[in-house]
Amino acid sequence: MYRIRLHGRGGQGIKTGGRILGSAFFGAGFDAQDAPVYGAERRGAPMFATVRASRAPIRERGLMARPDLVVLADETLLQVPAANVLFGVGAATVLLIHGTGEAADWRVRLGFDGKVVVLPVTAGTAERAGSGIAGARCAGAAARLVGGIAREQLGAALTEELGPLGPAVLASNLEQALAAFDAVAPHAGVVRESAPASARDFAAPDWIDLPLDPARIAAPDIHAAATSVEARTGLWRTLRPEIDYAHCNRCTWVCSTLCPDSAIRVRPDRSPEIDLQHCKGCMICVSVCPPHAIHSIPERVAQEREPAGAAP
Amino acid sequence: MSAAIRRMKDLPSTHLLGAGTSMCAGCGALLALHEIYDLLGVRSVFVNAASCMTLLAAYPFTPFRGSWLYTSMASAPAGAQGVRDALDILLEQGRIAPEEDLTAVALTGDGAATGIGLSATSGAIDRGLDFIYLCYDNEGYGNTGQQSSAATPYGAHTATSIGAHGHCGTKKDLFAVWIAHRPAYAATVIGADPLDLAKKIEQARALQGPRLIHALAPCPPGWDFDPAIGVEIGRLAVKTGVWPLKQYLDGKVTHTHVPHPRLPVEEYLKLQGRFRHLFEPVRDAATLGRIQSDVDAYWAQVAA
Repeated sequence: MYRIRLHGRGGQGIKTGGRILGSAFFGAGFDAQDAPVYGAERRGAPMFATVRASRAPIRERGLMARPDLVVLADETLLQVPAANVLFGVGAATVLLIHGTGEAADWRVRLGFDGKVVVLPVTAGTAERAGSGIAGARCAGAAARLVGGIAREQLGAALTEELGPLGPAVLASNLEQALAAFDAVAPHAGVVRESAPASARDFAAPDWIDLPLDPARIAAPDIHAAATSVEARTGLWRTLRPEIDYAHCNRCTWVCSTLCPDSAIRVRPDRSPEIDLQHCKGCMICVSVCPPHAIHSIPERVAQEREPAGAAP
Repeated sequence: MSAAIRRMKDLPSTHLLGAGTSMCAGCGALLALHEIYDLLGVRSVFVNAASCMTLLAAYPFTPFRGSWLYTSMASAPAGAQGVRDALDILLEQGRIAPEEDLTAVALTGDGAATGIGLSATSGAIDRGLDFIYLCYDNEGYGNTGQQSSAATPYGAHTATSIGAHGHCGTKKDLFAVWIAHRPAYAATVIGADPLDLAKKIEQARALQGPRLIHALAPCPPGWDFDPAIGVEIGRLAVKTGVWPLKQYLDGKVTHTHVPHPRLPVEEYLKLQGRFRHLFEPVRDAATLGRIQSDVDAYWAQVAA
């Protein structure tokens, strides 16, 4: 059985990419199972989907502990612990990174024993407006890496999954998926199937036994105010707003009121300050600032300019 | 209670709602909620029907500084009734002082407000329940992938309306449903106009009984637009007359903003992917014409 896990951010088309890959497997004669993992999937937040494919009936369900292929649509997720991209990987796992850099460098940086394949991001997909196409590109490349899926079968799966969204959406996704399929041709068939899991091999996890507390202790009540600030939603950000204080009018309310996340505070001197630990990078402040004193830069560029260890 | 809000400069510059929620970047509902919470304050109990906003408070995290509790989709007004009754009993027995009283706020999406929870809402208004009902309206079941709801507008593409002309129903008029009950107050607001919103929240706070605050909530993933233009879309909803800003008070409906000149609805529609099928590959003049004529008819009736 092939076990494939696709990681990305909400909005990058990962759920759809999983469906495309599942349908492509099915079209190639496999039994296939694909599912996004249900949770608080939000645009920009880490999410993942799983695909299983086998010539035999698939009886395995649920999360994927030992993937044969991990597909990463957005390399910035590697620094987000909650994304858990490398969960369960081993020397037999292939890691496909939709990103930048060299495969050999990634292996060293990640301390990763398996094979790494880099699918370079194109100029369009690096922009937020085009980021939704990452899922189709990843599905195309993954189809080639597993082998056994023909180019036409990939195209048919895209048509089936994306046809209802209209010809323009289908055409751009087809172009990108097939280009990705072709781009990783040197690594065709590099992913190996692993044996189906057997109940006999089941090892009980390290449960922590909790005593049965009275309801007033055990109930999930929250007794402190605004604890949400402990969640660092700044990690969702792919674009960063930067204030040009020389042009800021100190009008005190526009950016601060219209930031949905309460992530812009006004300092006593009436200048605004962006809370980068929580700013999700929606860029509403950039578009509403009357004197255009806030501009947007890619988060990656912003982090490269900072001294090491200063990332939020 | 804060001083009266008349100008933008009177709006609060410190914010009560905590950052770090799991709402999407650019969420139009969170925008309205954080503006509203600044004014309602911590002496409130939010009773949240199942919706996107249910994820505001996921143990052990909450952005609220006051109380919040969760109900099933249909029963936020019933939950608010229970909270109100409990507070009344505590007050009556002298177990809390009058200044310790709290405002019960039902917080729901449009799916609960216009569909699943409408019956419970109607009953609560009938009983004269002293509560604020805050509906954030992203015109679909956003939390589950934007399936159509009773509040989905005509022509919009949703996960369950994928035909050539989009959603074939029309948006249920929640404001009209409410005022048919003769509540204490009802108002439409939008986060993109914080001053109009603030005045209406102040008005609602000054009253007792059932009060509706109905906020249009532009939804980047559900409506398919770049989150950066969420406020622009909200402003266009008002300028094109698609989202009338109005209030019901003392038996009378007053429009707090009459767009003049009123922009063509296309200015609003064309920025959203959910209406893209009306513009490409070929222009759907019939559907666009009907959306415009519905808006025209609304404002003609207002002027009459």
